[in-house]
Amino acid sequence: MQGYIIRRVIGAAFVVFLVGTFSFFAIRVLPGDFATASLGLDAGSATAENIEQRRSDLGLDGSIADQYANWLWDTIRLDLGTSFLTQNSVWYEIGRSLPYSIELGILIMIVGFSVAIPVGLLSAIFQDKPADYILRTLAILALAAPVFWTAAIASLLVLEWDLFLIDVIGQPHIWEDPQGAITWYLIPMLAGGFAGTAATMRLLRSQMLEVMRQDYVRTARAKGLRETVVIIRHALRNALLPVLTVMGVTIATIIGSQVILENMFNIPGIGNKVLTALFARDNPVFQSVVLIIAVFTVLTNLAVDIMYGVIDPRIRLS
Amino acid sequence: MSQIVDTTVIPLRDPTVLDRASSGVKALGRFLRGKPLGGTGLIIVVVFMLVALLATVIERHDPDVIFEAPNPDYKSNPTVVELARNPDIGSPVTVNQFEEPGGEHLFGTDKFGRDIWSQVIHGSRLSLIVGLGASIIAVVGGLVIGMISAYYAGIVDLLIQRIVDMLQAIPFLVLVLVFTQITERSVLNVVLWLGVAGLAITTRLIRSAVFAVRESEFVLAARVVGASDLRIMVRHVLPNVVAVLIIAFSIGIGAYILAEASISFLGAGPQGIPSWGQMVQAGRGSLDLHPWQTVFAGGAIMVLVLGFNLLGDALRDVLDPRLRGA
Repeated sequence: MQGYIIRRVIGAAFVVFLVGTFSFFAIRVLPGDFATASLGLDAGSATAENIEQRRSDLGLDGSIADQYANWLWDTIRLDLGTSFLTQNSVWYEIGRSLPYSIELGILIMIVGFSVAIPVGLLSAIFQDKPADYILRTLAILALAAPVFWTAAIASLLVLEWDLFLIDVIGQPHIWEDPQGAITWYLIPMLAGGFAGTAATMRLLRSQMLEVMRQDYVRTARAKGLRETVVIIRHALRNALLPVLTVMGVTIATIIGSQVILENMFNIPGIGNKVLTALFARDNPVFQSVVLIIAVFTVLTNLAVDIMYGVIDPRIRLS
Repeated sequence: MSQIVDTTVIPLRDPTVLDRASSGVKALGRFLRGKPLGGTGLIIVVVFMLVALLATVIERHDPDVIFEAPNPDYKSNPTVVELARNPDIGSPVTVNQFEEPGGEHLFGTDKFGRDIWSQVIHGSRLSLIVGLGASIIAVVGGLVIGMISAYYAGIVDLLIQRIVDMLQAIPFLVLVLVFTQITERSVLNVVLWLGVAGLAITTRLIRSAVFAVRESEFVLAARVVGASDLRIMVRHVLPNVVAVLIIAFSIGIGAYILAEASISFLGAGPQGIPSWGQMVQAGRGSLDLHPWQTVFAGGAIMVLVLGFNLLGDALRDVLDPRLRGA
């Protein structure tokens, strides 16, 4: 077991290193850099010397190899540098934006799972009955609808029917101004939840159908247990395991839709940050945010793998 | 005593073309009857393909033409004060913006007075090209890399799998945004980069399929008779992973269409061609009063992706039921 965990941790660390290297080179391969972008080369206001000066201020003048070595050494020491755009330290920027993303992410997961689990369950229990068809169609639609469109339509309905006012001043966290923050988060969290867990619902349904055919479910029924007990205690528990396995994928999907939703609703989270940094060529922020997202997904997968190794000894050896 | 060797070859299929075609039609009929949802998906996809092919025929107007309407406030000789109050007062016509759906403009007109129906029709071309093109690239690339990874195993496999892990640890949208900015954002480049971004998923899927085949006895037998690696891969492994290839291809299409729509929505999509994602964004500015551009463009994305997903699900169930839920 120890060997298995060590192997997994080394693998995960290597993946994080690869992601960092990838984002380091990716942002530098893109045409233009922050020096040209910020000085406005096209306006003709900047001379070649200005740009060179700016590059050397930003640390963009050395060879790529030197820059890479510097970046690697700094990152290992957890020094993420300073944002080109705001002149704040990258840690400060992340510290400010991460809580928003975590809040929204958790809300999306709550909405998503509290819909996906009962719906997947009902759909499996009423297999091939009208209820099953309706719920499955809904899930298929949720998978097909672009998240930005669902969010736009939801905003439209809210406006059209005067459902509620988005009553928010500034950008409060949920613990600062619960009511305002909820009205602000409501549409993105519903749209994100709808899109993020449709796959979970489908997976849960097929797993439930699989599990319900197993001998131990028949045994539980034969013992005379109530149907709800059989379904929840015996079947659902086992059907949920594969759902946990794809948790990494689910979270990746949710982070992906958060990038768009944060942009649409002006939520100053990580997703918004990565877009701004990418378009402004703010190298330190882009590299660090991508790295942090990667650490997060990799850790989720690691946790799932280790949990599975604990549950199923066969996996440790593969 | 000599061994009796049966040299007659029993043809697996009747080689006549006519028979093959009719069996194809029969198989299609069986598919439509057995998988009504898959059949619905197929119909949706075919309808959108026809729309894309015949866009110039069924469009009612050129999607770029700006329509004008008589200006209700028109005055032939406005005074300076009137001009200051309403700068358009001197022109006899105005842009016919935000017309409601129905009548001359089936889906209404947008902010610039252009016909939304024609825009939606022309937008189907980009989505279909992107979806099909990117998925082909991802599957062909994934086949080559996945086969190499699974067949040679060891250090090659380990390295490729870590790179795949790396690509999957970055949100797909961010990956696509980075890739597409490297080159000029032409349709071809965007298709190419979407396919490259999708390599991680197809490589992983195909690799595990090849792994399963690799362990089978007929591959061992082929190796025993001295077949080369290339021959084993092409003649023995490839035919046995075709089902996975078709599934990976058809299931990926919807995801690429959504990804293109997302980057277009963010203003970073292919340039110079009508795009549904970009239309959804354009319509958001006047969503409260004139939502039609957003509604129709986004609806088109959803219906087309739905079609491909339904078709992909049905194909997967028919070809390889074990991949259910994948």
